[in-house]
Amino acid sequence: MIAVLAVAPVVLVTLLVGLRGVAAMRTTSDFLVASRRVSPLLNSAAVSGEYLSAASFLGVAGLVVKDGVGALWYPVGFTAGYVAMLVLVAAPMRRSGAVTVPDFAEARLGSRPLRLLSAVVVLVIAGLYLVPQFRTAGLVLTAVSGTPYWVGVVIAAVVAALILAVGGMRAATYVQAFQFFLKLALFIVPALWLLFAVGPQTRHDAVHPAEFTRFARDTPVTFSLDVTLELREPVTLGNHTHPPGELTARAGQTLVFPEGAEVPGVRGGAPPGGPDWQRPLLDDDGPPLLSTWAVLLATVLGTMGLPHVLMRLHTSPDGRAARRTAAITVGLLSVFYLFPGVYGLLGSVLVPQLYLTGATDTAVVALPAQVDTGTTGAVFTTLLTAGAFAAFLATSLGLLLVVAGAISHDLLPGGVRRLRLTVVAAAAVVVLLALPAARLDAGVLVTWGFAVAAATFCPLLVLGAWWTRLTPAGAIAGVCAGLLGTCGAFAVVLFGPGLTGLAGLLVAQPAPWAVPLAFATMVGVSLRGRPPAWAAQAMLRLHLPERAPEPSARPPAGRDRGHSSWPTRRSSAVRRVTRRLGR
Amino acid sequence: MSNQRRVAVSSPQTRLAHARRRHHPARLPPTLDPAEAERAARVLRAQRRPAVRTLAGLAALLFGLPLLLWALPALVDVRLLGVPAAWLALVVVPFPVLVGLAWWHLRRAERAEDPPP
Repeated sequence: MIAVLAVAPVVLVTLLVGLRGVAAMRTTSDFLVASRRVSPLLNSAAVSGEYLSAASFLGVAGLVVKDGVGALWYPVGFTAGYVAMLVLVAAPMRRSGAVTVPDFAEARLGSRPLRLLSAVVVLVIAGLYLVPQFRTAGLVLTAVSGTPYWVGVVIAAVVAALILAVGGMRAATYVQAFQFFLKLALFIVPALWLLFAVGPQTRHDAVHPAEFTRFARDTPVTFSLDVTLELREPVTLGNHTHPPGELTARAGQTLVFPEGAEVPGVRGGAPPGGPDWQRPLLDDDGPPLLSTWAVLLATVLGTMGLPHVLMRLHTSPDGRAARRTAAITVGLLSVFYLFPGVYGLLGSVLVPQLYLTGATDTAVVALPAQVDTGTTGAVFTTLLTAGAFAAFLATSLGLLLVVAGAISHDLLPGGVRRLRLTVVAAAAVVVLLALPAARLDAGVLVTWGFAVAAATFCPLLVLGAWWTRLTPAGAIAGVCAGLLGTCGAFAVVLFGPGLTGLAGLLVAQPAPWAVPLAFATMVGVSLRGRPPAWAAQAMLRLHLPERAPEPSARPPAGRDRGHSSWPTRRSSAVRRVTRRLGR
Repeated sequence: MSNQRRVAVSSPQTRLAHARRRHHPARLPPTLDPAEAERAARVLRAQRRPAVRTLAGLAALLFGLPLLLWALPALVDVRLLGVPAAWLALVVVPFPVLVGLAWWHLRRAERAEDPPP
């Protein structure tokens, strides 16, 4: 019931907003970058709407419950990435006149193989990022209303593919901008209500954490995955008393822990409220300070190289607007990221048992029912579910679009019709990938996506925009080194021996060595070769400001004069005349 | 209004060209006017200094604040408005600083590319 009430309005409103954005489309530029007519404010709302994925809406609060207060460094890294983007890539990227990142690579370095390599990297990043979105859509619907896992996955895929196939980037822009404000409201209002409704005792407990060692009341814990618990003293579950030792909870099983029972241990986790949990630094196995720096490096540099965010910058009319977009985005994200900590701290007091099941991602949607068991609680659960669903949709839209762009613009160039078909095909493939992925950790996959982006596109864009001596061979070598380094590290995590300590940290967070490796390879190989004669001009062009528009003139005509969107609203005769004048 | 489907009228050659696989033309090496190249080089030089400053500020925040929290674990016990100061520092310090850096850099970068008066 909650699922229907939450998802149906979001889907309907999303479709309505998306269809409003449908306009005549003739060229790839119309489809992929909305004819480059998106104002900075609208664009930055769309960037933020696209960027605030399930990882931000649910994941950060869940990580606070699971790993501790240090998880609040993730939002800082996510936001700081836009400052780096503003400084280093926003304006040069737009001024290259490219439509996708591979396009930029070819425009700057004139190398076809580099373009194909970049398209493959786009597919890797988008895949790592897209599968967790669909997966979490499925899991959240299951958690709230008990629908089968595949239902949420398929709903998310169908809505995203439909909007994109019909409306392209223009529809996606309106949807994402609308959903940013929707998500903001659906995140802030329940947070304020929760703070008000929990009462002074819980508010006090939230900031005076005590280690979660005994169950405060009879607590049913439902496991969605198999988990091995370590009992230190006998526990009576139902009418059976378990001796100390290991207890394996099966997926789908519900254990009711009686009041006063000792909380069992979970391998690889610290219970909420302990001293490690309270320390405001991250500790993914390794030393806390290095872990925090590693995560910040990966998120900041990775944000700069995320292809779906870069593609949004291309929808700006000129380089200056692209830069403003990045700057406003920093402000919008900062407002949103003030609140995940509230959910995280309340979650660690009200639903600490989630850390036993590993399902801390559902902490945000589980909170209202703990505070109010009546209608009000159900209403706020519905609102938060709706916001979470909006988060999957907006992010999936942008990612599907870059996948379609990489395949049908860079790998196998074709027209708008092929782009539309590719969107639908890509959504189908991702659904097939997401269906068996329920067990994967969404946060891990997204972090890997950031690591790949940081080690491939970040050096390519930064050196491409600021260093004239970059050669095509150097760029290819650097991107290959970054891609192989990060993917090799993931392979070790998945199939290799379990490493701990510093080695474990450097394998789980490859950015601190993979990014310098990629930069060094690019610089080293470039210095051994000679850049083409026109390389300096190709780079200078990226920094050449567009002519300031005449104050009273019609919208500044950039590269796409012939097919700008604004004449399409007029009659066909006017359209014909304006197009002829615009040539 | 008839219900007949509208058909685009085009010459057989155009139809042939549209039916064929499209090839993207090889990119020509970019060329710039000498005057424009000079303008771009000036803008690039003017952009470097604010870029380095903003990145230095960003690095100071992202490397310095974790270092500070690591070096002063006692900050968890200091309370501001009832909340441990170390937790508050994770939210209240970075975001205003980031917004400030972005705003400052945007102003400097736009001033750098305005034509000289």
